[in-house]
Amino acid sequence: MDFYFENFQDFLVMDGHGIYVWSALIITLLVMAWLIVSPLISRRALLKDVARDIQRELVRQSPDNNSGGAG
Amino acid sequence: MSWQWFHRLGSPRWFYQTSSRWLPVLSLIAAAVLLWGLVWGLAIAPQDAKQGNSFRIIYIHVPSSFLALAGYYMMAIAGAVGLIWKIKLSYMVMKSAAPIGAALTFVALFTGAIWGKPTWGTYWVWDARITSMLILLFLYLGVMALQHAFHNADTAGKAGATLALVGTVNIPIIYKSVDWWYTLHQPATIKFTSAPSMHMDMFLPLLVMIVGFYLFYAVALILFTRSEILRRERKTSWVRQLVQPETGQKA
Repeated sequence: MDFYFENFQDFLVMDGHGIYVWSALIITLLVMAWLIVSPLISRRALLKDVARDIQRELVRQSPDNNSGGAG
Repeated sequence: MSWQWFHRLGSPRWFYQTSSRWLPVLSLIAAAVLLWGLVWGLAIAPQDAKQGNSFRIIYIHVPSSFLALAGYYMMAIAGAVGLIWKIKLSYMVMKSAAPIGAALTFVALFTGAIWGKPTWGTYWVWDARITSMLILLFLYLGVMALQHAFHNADTAGKAGATLALVGTVNIPIIYKSVDWWYTLHQPATIKFTSAPSMHMDMFLPLLVMIVGFYLFYAVALILFTRSEILRRERKTSWVRQLVQPETGQKA
């Protein structure tokens, strides 16, 4: 369970294979991040939509606002 | 009575509420296992005698390929359950599995291409394994496209499920491609029927990464399904109560 490389520099370079290993890792992490973030973004937008619908209905229902809508 | 759990499992509301409780724990475990596997695979495991350090791409290439295939089972089975038992939630799971599977298939192809350069001297060959994985990507994209092609969610679910089920014919082809057409792609490293063809010091971190990817897949699938549930159920009272608890009490 020891660090395989001599030092951190060696770890980054990986005998010239570092560019392949690290670029593969970065692309993978980006895609994985997108898979987590994109449903969270759409969930937030949907919850905002529902909140707006509820607000709109409350305005419509309240007796003080019978004369007209917003704006 | 004994079927009650089955119907509860099919309730989008029940799924949403239960997953709210489990998601934080599951996400933490998934992140920890992935980090453990990555550090072990990239920094601690010895390098391959023939391929040198480029072999370390295996720690993301093989797990993402595993999940690209397992995700297809997930999508096809969810579609079949939807077709047979007409459970709405299973179509939502199927729809959610498609973009995740497509993304992981892309990762498998992309990391494979990068790995190919130092190992085979080329990024791409029309090898049987690679071509059948490309077809898998197109199947995922096809199911995604069908979901957007129909206004009616039920019709979209049926169409997507049918394509997903027809596409399962590709799965055994992918598995067997390295044996049937012995071209450039190396045979499977891990088989259920025999010991792994790699040293334990290299194999164990790979196993950790595969477990980590399965956990990650579960988290991503739950997240996508949850937002799909909200999209379809946004008019219902339970979603409204979720957003504004007091509205439910008034009504």
